[in-house]
Amino acid sequence: MSASEASVPPPNEAPEVPEAPGQDAVAGPPRRAARAALLASVFVIATSGLIYELITGTLASYVLGDSVAQFSFVIGLYLFAMGIGSYLSQYLESKLLERFVEIELGVALVGGLSAPLLFKVYTASGAFRVLLYGLVLLIGMLVGLEIPLLIRLLKFSLDLKQLVARVLTLDYIGALVASLLFPSLLLPRLGIHQTGLFFGLLNAFVALGSTFLFPITRADRFRLRALCALTVLVLGAAFAMVTQFVERAEAIYFGAPVVHSAQSPYQRMVLTQSPRTTRLFLNGNLQFSSDDEYRYHEVLVHPAVAALGRDPRRVLILGGGDGLAARELLRYPSVEQVTLVDLDAVVTDAFRTLPIATRLNQGALTDRRVTVRNEDAYKFLEGCTESFDLAIVDFPDPGNYAVGKLYTDAFYQLLRERLGVRGVVVVQATSPQYARESFWTIVTTMEAAGFMTAPLHVYVPSFGEWGFVLAGGEGLAAPGGLRIEASTLRYLDSAGLPELFRFPRDIGRVAAPINRLNDQKLVAIYTREWSVWTR
Amino acid sequence: MDRRAFLSALGTGWLVQTAGEHPPRIAGQVVGASHAAGHLLRGGAPVVSSAVVRAVVQEKADVVIVGGGVSGLSAAWRLAPAGLDVAVLELEPRPGGTSTWGEEGAVPHPWGAHYLAAPNVEARAALRLLQEMGAVTGWDAAGRPVFDPRRLCHAPQERLFYDGEWHQGLVPTDALSIAERDEMARFLDIEEALTVRRGADGRPAFQIPLDMSSRDPDLLALDRLSMEAWLDREGFRTPFLRWYVRYAMLDDFGGAPEDVSAWAGLHYFAARKLRTPELEGSHFLVWPEGNGRLVKALIERARPRIMLGSLAMAVHDLPQGGVAVDYLDVARHEVRRIEARAAVLATPAFVTRRLFPAAAPMLPVRTSSPWLVANLHVEDRFEPNLPWDSILYEAEGLGYVDAAHQLTDLAATTVPASALRAPRRQTVLTYYRAFGGADTTAARSMLLGSAWEGLADGVLRDLAPAHPHLREVLGRMDLMLWGHAMPRPRPGFLGERPFETTCALGPRIAWAHVDQPGMALFEEAQARGVRAAELLAGDMGVVLGESWL
Ligand SMILES: Cc1cc2nc3c(=O)[nH]c(=O)nc-3n(C[C@H](O)[C@H](O)[C@H](O)COP(=O)(O)OP(=O)(O)OC[C@H]3O[C@@H](n4cnc5c(N)ncnc54)[C@H](O)[C@@H]3O)c2cc1C
Repeated sequence: MSASEASVPPPNEAPEVPEAPGQDAVAGPPRRAARAALLASVFVIATSGLIYELITGTLASYVLGDSVAQFSFVIGLYLFAMGIGSYLSQYLESKLLERFVEIELGVALVGGLSAPLLFKVYTASGAFRVLLYGLVLLIGMLVGLEIPLLIRLLKFSLDLKQLVARVLTLDYIGALVASLLFPSLLLPRLGIHQTGLFFGLLNAFVALGSTFLFPITRADRFRLRALCALTVLVLGAAFAMVTQFVERAEAIYFGAPVVHSAQSPYQRMVLTQSPRTTRLFLNGNLQFSSDDEYRYHEVLVHPAVAALGRDPRRVLILGGGDGLAARELLRYPSVEQVTLVDLDAVVTDAFRTLPIATRLNQGALTDRRVTVRNEDAYKFLEGCTESFDLAIVDFPDPGNYAVGKLYTDAFYQLLRERLGVRGVVVVQATSPQYARESFWTIVTTMEAAGFMTAPLHVYVPSFGEWGFVLAGGEGLAAPGGLRIEASTLRYLDSAGLPELFRFPRDIGRVAAPINRLNDQKLVAIYTREWSVWTR
Repeated sequence: MDRRAFLSALGTGWLVQTAGEHPPRIAGQVVGASHAAGHLLRGGAPVVSSAVVRAVVQEKADVVIVGGGVSGLSAAWRLAPAGLDVAVLELEPRPGGTSTWGEEGAVPHPWGAHYLAAPNVEARAALRLLQEMGAVTGWDAAGRPVFDPRRLCHAPQERLFYDGEWHQGLVPTDALSIAERDEMARFLDIEEALTVRRGADGRPAFQIPLDMSSRDPDLLALDRLSMEAWLDREGFRTPFLRWYVRYAMLDDFGGAPEDVSAWAGLHYFAARKLRTPELEGSHFLVWPEGNGRLVKALIERARPRIMLGSLAMAVHDLPQGGVAVDYLDVARHEVRRIEARAAVLATPAFVTRRLFPAAAPMLPVRTSSPWLVANLHVEDRFEPNLPWDSILYEAEGLGYVDAAHQLTDLAATTVPASALRAPRRQTVLTYYRAFGGADTTAARSMLLGSAWEGLADGVLRDLAPAHPHLREVLGRMDLMLWGHAMPRPRPGFLGERPFETTCALGPRIAWAHVDQPGMALFEEAQARGVRAAELLAGDMGVVLGESWL
């Protein structure tokens, strides 16, 4: 579908009434250059009109989710608005060239600023929908006004047959160019804000150029050029600011189009989607890549179940709001109840509802065996009286003190109280390769809290060598075989199991301190170790 | 910079710049420490006559305690096992005295005392209370207490704003000159040596409780010197070290080094003896509401009848035995009398002297330091790794502590996004300022004579070097003016007979307050309260069993 369909002039284009007297003075057939300019502006208008539509559609689906519905609303509304614009064009009777320049400037401003405006409103208030649909209507109407106006301006230099053919051809080509460029080049390279502002500037320059080519009275020419300059200034300033602040961060940073982003009190969540791969970032840190997350999550879950030595029934997951660990667990029919505690409702809601997320976790968060609790894990454990067979602890790395609390002896002691004597826990423990001392600090700390430990590791291409600590009471041992049919998994099998528990010399155990709440040595060690790799 | 930061930079930054000439108004008020009512005591007769006098016997109790601070409530706590009817008369609308706290806003926060250093093994009453509260979970093989790690101040503990930037910890080692570093090291060596030093009598040079310290005349001679003079004598000259010591003296005693006894000053550095691996990170016990949590624990355990808004005016030793206390019910503006078998006066020396003039000669004369405490309700916590204590080098005040620091629940102080606002994390910062100069009277009248606006402005100005835009994230700022916050251990405070201040003021009347030792510490207040209770129990023939001291 092309947005330009509605730009066909209404069938009952007003009969050739003579233009108003003021216009007559400078009317007459435009010169060749002016004609070419008018046709070029058809192209620009068509392209930028569609770009604005794509921008608002994309923003709507970022923010409101449900991209099919959002795109369909935005496109429908936009086309309808263009219809309104086209209809209204009949009421513009005098000074058509001047009106054209003015409308062009309106499109430039409203369209160009739409993305930053919408973002501002989104983070600041709930008026997002109102503004979104309002902007779509306004842009649609302005663009809808322009095409009929252009046709009327060109009608003196071309006959109707040629005129309609040329205008519509350029209009459709513009739409094609926009729809090809937007996802492939503009969004990834320029980002959503700059794309909009760029086309806004383009519109403004078309308007400015028109003031040189068109026969316009002196007084009007001066006024219009001043307006053009003002518009260019506003858009240019916004363009410069946006570059400074946003662009670096987003598309360039994530390396793929952002399909969902949300800000919670704790973190900023971003999901990106490239043709093959979905990635989750929290505060800019990669949490998983769909290419290889199965390695991570299979090794997180299945050896622990095997070490349990019996069928798991009641399981606790701390962190893991993406539901991927839950997905692995739910493969065991014996599991009766999974309590998933994740602080951030923004993450768990996304992974409960967004199609690209539920495809990955196979709907784990809506499984009736799973209860999601959006609470602080520390607080949860302090208040919890239930006991569990198995606990899976999948927190972000201990890069700050707030998360660091969840890696302390005090925390592990609380956790131990929630596991029966025969209970087992597994903890994601950062990379023993990049952060060797950090990894072994976690092991040492869990031992100080009274756990027996069996550390393990696996290679996850997106992350590098990754470590986990399996732990339990007296008699815990590295498991000999899986409790699940290897054919249902993608990476693990029983034969490979012992290899996970063998630590080659360069990642082997080093002396490490106990991480306590009142020193949190781990945060400092972790920060120091990772800074070497991220410099 | 991420998008949110960008947007808020765009939004608030612009707004703020344009609103520069009209800084946002902050709400707030001066709360507590009822000076007006307290000063009635000075007024004497005219005030009493203006109230409706009902000095007929209105109430009875087994024991009446005047003053609901830590000393008074500790006396009640000690008496609890005997099952007596204990009444506590407290002037303020809230118990706790200088360890009181506030509950309004995002997090409970202190109004006075905000931490307890891990008590020495000898501070048995304090450790008993901590164990009852679960903060001490047991004892190690060497007989030392084991603490619940959640109660010890979490990392990061403190930072110093020095030379235009924040440094982790109180000593910005990297930023100091070699001379400053050397002096600091020498000072720490002395501190270490004094911590383990014993006097000629075999007792530790400095101990908590205070009265277990050595009587060695060589050590006691330090009390004749000011801390300032001691620093001079020992050749400590570098600006940083002088500031460091000054900060400590103001923080602990509300007095500047020139007005604090060297014995007291060194006691601060050398009295803490407990050393265990778990305490290496921090040996401070911290709660959001500060020592208010300890006050709550005392009340929960003792369950006395607390009569708030009751200003004791006179204590009578009744000829037929027993005691009577006349007090003003501040709300009803009515004087009443309560009779009891015994009374604990858990009030400062200057109040006690007025309540029971017969005992005046027995009471030490103390100078009390005025303090200003501000609670800043912050709408958006500015830093993710905010430490518990933030101190500004050479500022007027002592910096601020973060009430939310010790919460293990991240969600507790979080306000989710609403239609109108982005999500944010709130907290309450408690700012302290001691008026440490020798002329405490002038400082007190200046403080009590100031309006909220001027004082609040002063707080913001004092923090401005590190937080120029603090105003923008402030919801409100409340102020507490402590006219008589705590005794200042001036040179000579130990007196003629060190450590022997009286507890018994009469046959059935005992005194308990930090003015007794002359150093305001939780352990001291508590020990004084317990001692008073045990003394009176003996008088009354009530069996309390073995001493808790
Ligand atoms: C700002 C500040 C910070 C401090 N920080 C710490 C700290 O971090 N750690 C620490 O250990 N200590 C600290 N202290 C010291 C603190 O004072 C002691 O720990 C302890 O609370 C003293 O208790 P108290 O009961 O002896 O005295 P007070 O707290 O003075 O209690 C006396 C009580 O008697 C009441 N009262 C007085 N007159 C009358 C009357 N006529 N009738 C009825 N009631 C009356 C008062 O209202 C008050 O409640 C701090 C003190 C201040 C002021």
